[in-house]
Amino acid sequence: MLAVLTLIGIGIAMIYSATVTTIDLSDYWLRQLVFVGLGVVVLIAATFFDYHYFQILAIPIFLLFTGSLVAVLLFGVNQGGSVRWISVGGVLVQPTEAGKFLVIIYLAWYLSWFHNEMGRLPYLLGALALLLAPLVLVYLEPDLGMTVTFAFIGGVLILAGGVRLWQIGLMAFGALLTLPFLWGALQGYMVERIQVFLNPQDNPGAAFNVNQALIAVGSGGWLGRGWGYGSQNQLHFLRVRHTDFIFSVIAEELGLIGATIVIGLLLFVVWRLLRIADHAQDHFGRLIALGVAALIFFQALINVSMNLSLAPVTGLTLPFVSYGGSSLISMMFAIGLAESVAIHQGRTEF
Amino acid sequence: MSMYDDRDNLYIGPPKTPDSATWVTRFFRIGLLLVFALLMGRLYQLQIVRGDAYRTDADDNRFRLVESPAPRGVMYDRTGQILVRNRPSFEISLVPDDLPFNDPETEIDEQAAEIEHVLQVLNAGQDPDVALRMGELMFRRLGRADYANTVENAGVDLNYVFVPGPVETTADEEGQPQATTSSTIRIPDLTQQLPMEGLVALVQRAIELGGQGSASEPVPILDLVDRTRAFEIVEESYAMPSVRVNEVPVREYIYGDLLSHILGFLGPIPAALEDEYRANGYTNPNERVGLNGLEFSYQTELRGLPGYKNVEVDILGREMRTVGQVIDPVPGSNLILNIYKPLQEAMYNELEKAMEETGAPWAVSIAMNPQNGAILGMVSLPSYDNNIFAERINEDYLALEADKRRPLINYAIGGLYPPGSTFKLVTSAAALEDDVIGESTIIRDDGPIYLPNKFFPDDPEQAQEFVSWNHALGIVHGPLNVVQALALSNDIFFYWLGGGYPPAEFKGLGQKELSRWAELFGYGDPTGIDLPGEVGAIVPDDQWKRQLYAESWTTGDSYNMAIGQGYLLSTPLQVLVSAATVANGGTVYEPQVVRQVVDANGGLQRDFEPRIRRELPLDDGIIDIVREGMWAAVNSEIGTAAGAQVPGVTVAGKTGTAEFCEYIPELEDCRRDEEGNLPTHAWFVGFAPYEDPEIAVVTFLYDGGEGSAVAVPVTQKILAAYFNDIAPRTEETTP
Repeated sequence: MLAVLTLIGIGIAMIYSATVTTIDLSDYWLRQLVFVGLGVVVLIAATFFDYHYFQILAIPIFLLFTGSLVAVLLFGVNQGGSVRWISVGGVLVQPTEAGKFLVIIYLAWYLSWFHNEMGRLPYLLGALALLLAPLVLVYLEPDLGMTVTFAFIGGVLILAGGVRLWQIGLMAFGALLTLPFLWGALQGYMVERIQVFLNPQDNPGAAFNVNQALIAVGSGGWLGRGWGYGSQNQLHFLRVRHTDFIFSVIAEELGLIGATIVIGLLLFVVWRLLRIADHAQDHFGRLIALGVAALIFFQALINVSMNLSLAPVTGLTLPFVSYGGSSLISMMFAIGLAESVAIHQGRTEF
Repeated sequence: MSMYDDRDNLYIGPPKTPDSATWVTRFFRIGLLLVFALLMGRLYQLQIVRGDAYRTDADDNRFRLVESPAPRGVMYDRTGQILVRNRPSFEISLVPDDLPFNDPETEIDEQAAEIEHVLQVLNAGQDPDVALRMGELMFRRLGRADYANTVENAGVDLNYVFVPGPVETTADEEGQPQATTSSTIRIPDLTQQLPMEGLVALVQRAIELGGQGSASEPVPILDLVDRTRAFEIVEESYAMPSVRVNEVPVREYIYGDLLSHILGFLGPIPAALEDEYRANGYTNPNERVGLNGLEFSYQTELRGLPGYKNVEVDILGREMRTVGQVIDPVPGSNLILNIYKPLQEAMYNELEKAMEETGAPWAVSIAMNPQNGAILGMVSLPSYDNNIFAERINEDYLALEADKRRPLINYAIGGLYPPGSTFKLVTSAAALEDDVIGESTIIRDDGPIYLPNKFFPDDPEQAQEFVSWNHALGIVHGPLNVVQALALSNDIFFYWLGGGYPPAEFKGLGQKELSRWAELFGYGDPTGIDLPGEVGAIVPDDQWKRQLYAESWTTGDSYNMAIGQGYLLSTPLQVLVSAATVANGGTVYEPQVVRQVVDANGGLQRDFEPRIRRELPLDDGIIDIVREGMWAAVNSEIGTAAGAQVPGVTVAGKTGTAEFCEYIPELEDCRRDEEGNLPTHAWFVGFAPYEDPEIAVVTFLYDGGEGSAVAVPVTQKILAAYFNDIAPRTEETTP
């Protein structure tokens, strides 16, 4: 909890630094503060809500989620070439953000409910189908980052859900077979981003953001240039610096020390989540904690890697730190979910 | 959360099955540690190992060296009349860095869209002048092939025109242009107004190329924009961060053709010399530099020093603040020339008239103060309007390139011709100094003289005949002293001086002495005038002839050289320098066009200082005899240049009528008139006043005919203009 709040605190400070010189964005740190307030309420509510009740809600959750994804595809708002938002009463909502924990909940339910049958192929395929349905829909938006995130969470949960070794072998084989088709099915912008990552010199324009991020990170040194003094950040050479590239801002202004603290805190949170999973008494709770751990771990890894030019650019945010209401609140809800697993042990077993 | 640690012992539910979740979390933890190590390693590599390099990159991003050009110096004539000034004009350019990137995630090409938007603001779609000017700029920047490819790839059909290619000249042994070969080249028609897509493609290409050097360096896309329009563009383009509007003054040569060979013109830094200019502190690749005339030779003085300031910019290229020291530009110095603009006009007009009358294809007149080498006027015709280099590459420019008479050449310093009888000044001074003759030595002109054939010395039929010009008129001059010979320009007399005359046991100067004295008088090496493009031709000698013709020097060669025919070639300026040396009593001066260099605040940086090349090793009185010969040519009854007399002053001079060979391949011979005579250049070189010379003038008309009939009257009018209008005689100095 403390680690999460520290991260959020660092996030607000950095968002302030990243946006205060831009008139359009100068109140973002305040807005983030409001989101944090909301997030804390959500977190506490989720913590004290007994997670077992979600087992009852699992099927409606799945239907609601896939339904909203279909709705996005049909009526969604197009922004920057992809359809990710849906307008609910004038407010833009991104269902995939909530989808992060929704996927965790219903997959955890399915896998724990049929825990003893998971050794049989039809049940495994059922799990895969539950995962693939939203995956394909998200992929069509298109949103590569989310697709991969869902795949990772799903994969971790299915592995943990009790598959047999031979099944893993089969899945790996199947995945290998579909790989060429996957490349063909990748949407144009995705291919381009991956190519930019592999051969940055071929497309200097598109590699600009990545390059500027590297310069920002690199110029940080041990202690950084000081909060509010990062030239890459303050002079706006870094694009989307308050969301995707917030980690570059941290590395530039707070240096290796600051960046290490942030990474350390994030991994510490994941470590604690794994501990919750280990100590959970029932499969459902264990899988939920594991799913939340996978979610935070994966997003943090991909976002930091992207800032350090270790992974292609995706729209994945840095958990708790990046600006963005739906991302922050859903992350805090996920933590609340895991905390609920931690404190509601033993009661319903009897 | 220590409550979990002892939970295992209290657990009383169904036995916990060891399932895959256990090893998944274990696996997960290992992954966690690995990821942490990986990210730390990467951070260390980026921030510590390569940190300095990235810090430099970050500084490169934010600091931009902005150059503020210094106003270029202007030029005045000797009396303070302004000859060239700077007209305010504006240049529109785009900064590649500040254009939007083409985002691959979207269908549209953001960069092209932004360029098109800019061009709309510039009115390139409607205003044909704008479209044409942009086309020309892009043509100059990209070159013929790239321009055509770019436009055609944008789906625009181009018209083409054919223009003459570079002229290649072959010269015969006298250095005359014989045959000029020129192939035509196909270039895009620049008078064709390009549609929007063509212009956008061109600008995008120029940006692409410009961005390769330094992407923060503006790429000019339109110039010659006037002040009102420039302000409009500034206002309309506020939302376009890539647009820069800079004041780039245009050189305005007020008198155009009159002074173009002296003043020269500006142009972009030639591609071949880019490195050299950069090494000399020319950091702006778009700077225009002097390419010819004084603009070239005084480029450093005229340019001044650009100022610099370091500014911190944001990603849109907006200047946030100035960092560190600001270096203010130092304005270029102004030049005050030795030229008298009214004299230059008189020279220009008189020479032009004479060219029309004689049909001479080109002609030269130069005036110099013989006492110090100051150039008072210099005209080479045909001339050209140097303003067209600042304006568009239009028909005027193409016509100039295509003109067979090559108006861009300053023939005063760039053309080599036989000096003809004007060379007799050198021959007579040398003969007197070397004691070949004395002041009163008499040589008889009794008609042509003959040199026996080397192989048939006893056969008079085979002997080589040498005539004087007067023999064709049926006149022999009889006994002559050196003054009379100069006055009459008798050739027999000078044949004797040059090569001797064996039948009379008369020993002449010979090749060695002729060549030595020619060089002393300023033939051979260029005179050293402060203008670019000056040439000189080697003074021929025995060795030179052996190397070139595999023949030894003959007495006949000495004869020809003594009268300025044959192998010796000179520029009109060299002839003037040799005559000025006679006028001033034996000092060879380097001619200078610029009188003073004055800085922008009026401070004198360099005053006029005569540059003496050498004093001739002549005994007292010798030059006076040659001067007397020049006096007699104008003022005695027998003189060839009586037409040069100017009322009120005493003029002295020497005519020349130099035969030349214009080889016609079809005839396998030189061009000749009906009577078989070779065409001639008309020469006259004179000075005045005789007693204390202050102006020396040479006039040369290529293929102009007789010196006395053509060049003398022109010079007379120039001298008259000088003494009547420019520097009128006061009572005391009038003889």
